[in-house]
Amino acid sequence: MYLIGNITLYLGIAIAAYAIIANIIGIKKQNNKWIESARGGVLSLVFVSLLASFLLLYLLGSSQFQFEYVAAYTSLNLPMVYKLTAFWAGNAGSLLLWTVLLCIYAGILVYSKEKRNPLMPYVSIILLLNILFFFTVMVIGGNPFAMTEVVPADGKGLNPMLQHPGMVLHPITLYLGYVGLAVPFAFAIGALILKRVDAEWIKLTRRWTITAWLFLTLGNIIGGWWAYLELGWGGYWAWDPVENASFLPWLTASAFLHSVMIQERKGMLKTWNISLIILSYILTLFGTFLVRSGVLTSVHAFGSGPLGTYFLIFMAFMMLLSIYIVTTRYQLIKKDSIPIETYFSKESSFLLNNLILVTGAFAVFWGSMYPLISEAVTGTKINVGPPYFNSVMAPILLLLILLMAVCPLIAWQKATVERFMKNAIWPLIAGIVSAIILILMGVKGAFAIIGLASTVFMFATHVQEFVQGTRARMKATKENVLKAVYKLTRKNQRRYGGYIVHIGIAIIAIGVIASHAYSEEVLKTVETGENIKIGNYDLTFNGLTEVTKNGNGIVAADLEIVYKGKDAGSIHPEKIFYANWEEPSTEVAIKTNFTEDLYVVLSSWENRDKVTLQVKVNPFVTWIWIGGIIMVIGTAFALIGGKPTSTRVTDPLRQGR
Amino acid sequence: MSKRIVLAALILLFVLPNASSAAFTENSEEFQNVIKQLDMQGHAEDELSSCSVKQLYYEEVLEMLNSGMSEKEVLQSYIDEYGQAALRTPATDKSGWIAWGMPFAGLAGGIAIVAAWLKKVKGKGTNNQNSPQVKWESEAEKEIAEQMFEEERRKHF
Repeated sequence: MYLIGNITLYLGIAIAAYAIIANIIGIKKQNNKWIESARGGVLSLVFVSLLASFLLLYLLGSSQFQFEYVAAYTSLNLPMVYKLTAFWAGNAGSLLLWTVLLCIYAGILVYSKEKRNPLMPYVSIILLLNILFFFTVMVIGGNPFAMTEVVPADGKGLNPMLQHPGMVLHPITLYLGYVGLAVPFAFAIGALILKRVDAEWIKLTRRWTITAWLFLTLGNIIGGWWAYLELGWGGYWAWDPVENASFLPWLTASAFLHSVMIQERKGMLKTWNISLIILSYILTLFGTFLVRSGVLTSVHAFGSGPLGTYFLIFMAFMMLLSIYIVTTRYQLIKKDSIPIETYFSKESSFLLNNLILVTGAFAVFWGSMYPLISEAVTGTKINVGPPYFNSVMAPILLLLILLMAVCPLIAWQKATVERFMKNAIWPLIAGIVSAIILILMGVKGAFAIIGLASTVFMFATHVQEFVQGTRARMKATKENVLKAVYKLTRKNQRRYGGYIVHIGIAIIAIGVIASHAYSEEVLKTVETGENIKIGNYDLTFNGLTEVTKNGNGIVAADLEIVYKGKDAGSIHPEKIFYANWEEPSTEVAIKTNFTEDLYVVLSSWENRDKVTLQVKVNPFVTWIWIGGIIMVIGTAFALIGGKPTSTRVTDPLRQGR
Repeated sequence: MSKRIVLAALILLFVLPNASSAAFTENSEEFQNVIKQLDMQGHAEDELSSCSVKQLYYEEVLEMLNSGMSEKEVLQSYIDEYGQAALRTPATDKSGWIAWGMPFAGLAGGIAIVAAWLKKVKGKGTNNQNSPQVKWESEAEKEIAEQMFEEERRKHF
């Protein structure tokens, strides 16, 4: 097994190097046989990386503790699903996961219907460079098939916090997003090398980019959900450096998805789009560097080691390569485009959207790196935690919401204020009315009310877009409502998919604003029969129970819930003491309804009849998960049927929404 | 009567400070305000029941508040001990301007760049409209010419 595992890694290096050389010779000699051979090389890489992955899964599943990785992350009593998910619990395994996904993506690409496209050998080279790097890094610094000196009787086991369904989904989805961004990056660089800087590469990679974005979205949402259920501090986003590192490419990729529409339509922003996709790709490497370098403290980090240096070198190499290619092709990119007729147009609003998203990315990057910068410059480390990010990002995200509210109402090329006002009036009234209702209901907090009202404005704009479109279709075709909605959305899946994503964002925004501004918390020591009052809840403590399950000791508090004067069942926050893990884990008990979560943590106890409980009421947190699901549905809708907008550089007078 | 008043005043004098200083609990607003701002040596986001460092901070802050210190004084005592690293955010005075101001400076710079670019693109649009338009005999001729221009452009650059 040891031999097979290591051979797959060395073979990976050899095949990737060969495929790069074969592609280069093929391009130089204009010889298709070499290109075909390189394509075969990529297929071999898929096979080799899959073999390595299945081998690691087998070793993990069969508890072969003679392997360092298996001994470090699994144990005999670990359930099979977590033995297998330990694949990506550590550094070496996560590198293999990245590699196998990269190989599969490269394989799909080079055997796609575009395989004869002259761009493909260049794209293949860029992806192969990444694959070569990852195989090399595994061999020199993160080998999942390294052996232990002494075979232990049992492994160390998996951190209890990682024994959660989130562990199955979160890393995979996030990595699918990270790796996916390498594809549009490779196309962009390939197009530049080949001097084909029209919108072709964007059209070819549209689905890849949306897919990567979808997985990044899903990965971040699942990560938040997992943190909320498992970590016990009552939040879902801690602005931890590694969380930020996954948010950064999401922000820049979101900007890219919007600005490509301008290039497709008007041939504008070519340099900007290329820069954005390069930045997004570099940021995925930056995230990987952060996790593995240990330069910043994070719960997600794999610890310090030489791997961070390798990633830094590779990141610098790819960045310099990209900058060199962009600068040498700059005059070519600076091609004529359709000019903007007026400042008040969808084009301008998309530019603003890009500006805000990139500013957001800059703010998150700046805040994440400031502790390092301050230490390097002044010698004193200054912390930058959630209160900083909340204060800085709140106005930036509010601007983004407002822009999302008005952007669908602004026409392409040349919008008129009268028409805009006519379309904006009802959503605007909805926003203002919601603010008045909140104030009348006694809701406090000016900033939160402004945020919620802006979100309602944004939500109403998008609902109005659906309503107006359906009405227009019903009028023109005499279809019934359902058919009209169906046809309307099917005919323009990209646009309406985007609107569904925006609606999802509105719902998430309500959850985020409400849970930040209006959460309540009580820390109280109670004896049996005593109760805790918080919000609309009345909790009565009935005593502490202790059981043993799968060799682990479980201490649970029994609490009866009365919600708005009515019996609402019981809740059992737990503390688990593991047989083979030093730290006990806290199992949060959550009672969810549509508008709020009761979140109870068993903090400590003196005896069976006296405990300290941390109780929170988090309003509208469920909306965040619902909004996330809507976002994913909207993205999938745009992905499945959306067609790229044709390049309309031949008709400068075309206008209207 | 006057003896009673003096006695009552004396009792109040002894009782009042104790009454006010013993009023703080973990659920007090003052306590929450202080705790929210402390980094607690990187343990601020840890779950309280399993983090001994966080528990220690909770006890200390409560003790300080109950001994009569104000929120500001409690925070300052930590800053005196650990420097600005005691808090979760950079200072809001002059020393923290760069940390707080940079994102907004970035936004302002971005707005200036976008505004200048828009002005340029719009201006170019006006110029283009004034320049004589090339008229093609047919669409085919136009396509061929555009292809030739593109080829030349690629060779040139």
